[in-house]
Amino acid sequence: MSSTRVFDLLQGKHVDRVPLYHFLIGFCARNVGYTIADMYADPIKSYQAQAWTFEQYGIDGGPDYGYASYGGWEFGGEVKMPEGEWQQAPSHVTFPVNTLDDLDSLTLPDVTTAGSLPLAMEFSKLQQQNGDLITVILGGNFSVAGNICPPSMLCRWMLKRPDDAHKLLRIASDHIIDVVRYWADTFGADNVVPNLWEPVAANDIISPRQFEQFVLPYIKETNERILAMGVKHILYHICGEQNANLPLWAQIPMGDPGLVTFGHQVTLTKAVEYFGDSCVILGNVSPALVQTGTPQQVYQACRSAILEAKDAPRGFMLMSGCELPPMASPYNVYMMKKAIEDFGYY
Amino acid sequence: MATTERTAEILQGLHDAVVDFEEDDTVALAHAAIDEGVDAYNAIMNGLARGMETVGDLYARQEYFVPELLLCADALYAALDILRPHLQIEAQAEPRKIILGVVEGDIHDIGKNLVKVMFDAAGWEVIDLVADVKIERFAEEQKRTGAQVVGISALMTTSMLAMPKIIKMVKDGDPNVRVLVGGAPINSDIAATYGADGYADNAGEAVAAAQIMVARA
Repeated sequence: MSSTRVFDLLQGKHVDRVPLYHFLIGFCARNVGYTIADMYADPIKSYQAQAWTFEQYGIDGGPDYGYASYGGWEFGGEVKMPEGEWQQAPSHVTFPVNTLDDLDSLTLPDVTTAGSLPLAMEFSKLQQQNGDLITVILGGNFSVAGNICPPSMLCRWMLKRPDDAHKLLRIASDHIIDVVRYWADTFGADNVVPNLWEPVAANDIISPRQFEQFVLPYIKETNERILAMGVKHILYHICGEQNANLPLWAQIPMGDPGLVTFGHQVTLTKAVEYFGDSCVILGNVSPALVQTGTPQQVYQACRSAILEAKDAPRGFMLMSGCELPPMASPYNVYMMKKAIEDFGYY
Repeated sequence: MATTERTAEILQGLHDAVVDFEEDDTVALAHAAIDEGVDAYNAIMNGLARGMETVGDLYARQEYFVPELLLCADALYAALDILRPHLQIEAQAEPRKIILGVVEGDIHDIGKNLVKVMFDAAGWEVIDLVADVKIERFAEEQKRTGAQVVGISALMTTSMLAMPKIIKMVKDGDPNVRVLVGGAPINSDIAATYGADGYADNAGEAVAAAQIMVARA
């Protein structure tokens, strides 16, 4: 496994070709014969499965630990590890906040013991031992809030009880700061790259006006505080349909350079337009295409993405637009590497 | 018995209160409709349902998003709870039925819930299986209820793989049943590959898609 190209991009150095970056935890489990639950419950197995798969597929970067439902377990809710044929990641069983009384009694958890964080910390120590990027995966501020209470409740509060929505977002934001500070204290701030995923703030759910009022100020402030700790790079997964939010996202500091990843809903040309001068761009091959398309379709989509963004000022990494599906065909995943070999060299 | 003018006023009020997600107003107007002798079916279809049609248009134009839709739905259901017991069943045609559910392994139900609102507002009988629904249940419930349409939702690329199996089970039970699919990773091409009869990109399109499918049957 080699993270060299990723480190080089972050340091502003020349790379020989477009790096291949992936988030594909469930796929790695299948690839080596583990269960997907193993990947979230057992950091050693999770690291092994990813490291082996990354080596097999020539993936740049390093293994990661995290999931989109982050926040519920950490604040006292219950999550279920994935099981059966159709589950991809841990999912909510109960939310910690279901009423206004729950919100009133909500307190910040101890980040050394809360929910998945001990597992994530164990995983990051493996990253450190192996010379990888040390990442900590959390939701973006709005998504963490939307995992502490049902997202439909957060949506209703935005319109009917905005003060309560802001109260929840304040707690979610302070929690993100607490976690990143814990990682920075443990590994050194300049070695940590927080990975923050923001699917709930997509325009599939909220309007750009709601984003401006309830998302932008919290993420902006949080990122400023993270960067003030000495963290150099923040990776933000700007998940789903976010086109109307892009001018607002562009106001948020991500580091020098930051890293921003997009789904197929946002064109790479647009991503480069808004973020190319300050961030490495990652994306945006449709995960559904990698799962259901033919190898030729995947290859062509990767070729288009590479040609569209390889000359982004701060660099480009080819990636699926969200987690690569566990059931994707191995040959389709190989097509991503082949497209880089054929079109990704500088 | 309310005058024609008063009836029109109540119907317009119900429409506006749904659009403005004023739950207290829909409740008050629903009570007024009952107290003043406005036919409950008329109040639902020409007040509340018409309001949700307007809401659907606002959603399609991206003036409304999910938060607004949720509150409009709250206003709608608060009034429906009052009006439905007063429906004169024998005076109406048998409503069309649809089964809705999010597939096994997937708990993301906001989209499905919005689809449910649209079908409720359009006068369909909705059998809501909620989320993380065992794949066999769709066909079992269709057989039990005789629903003309089965609507299946998935948000995850993993859980979407359950769809073709569900569709086959439903079609094996009754080839005349129409299957509508939707969800973030789905598109019309995938829907066709899976054997679905229709695809809806969002809640606003779902009712029209189902109506077209049923008309074709």
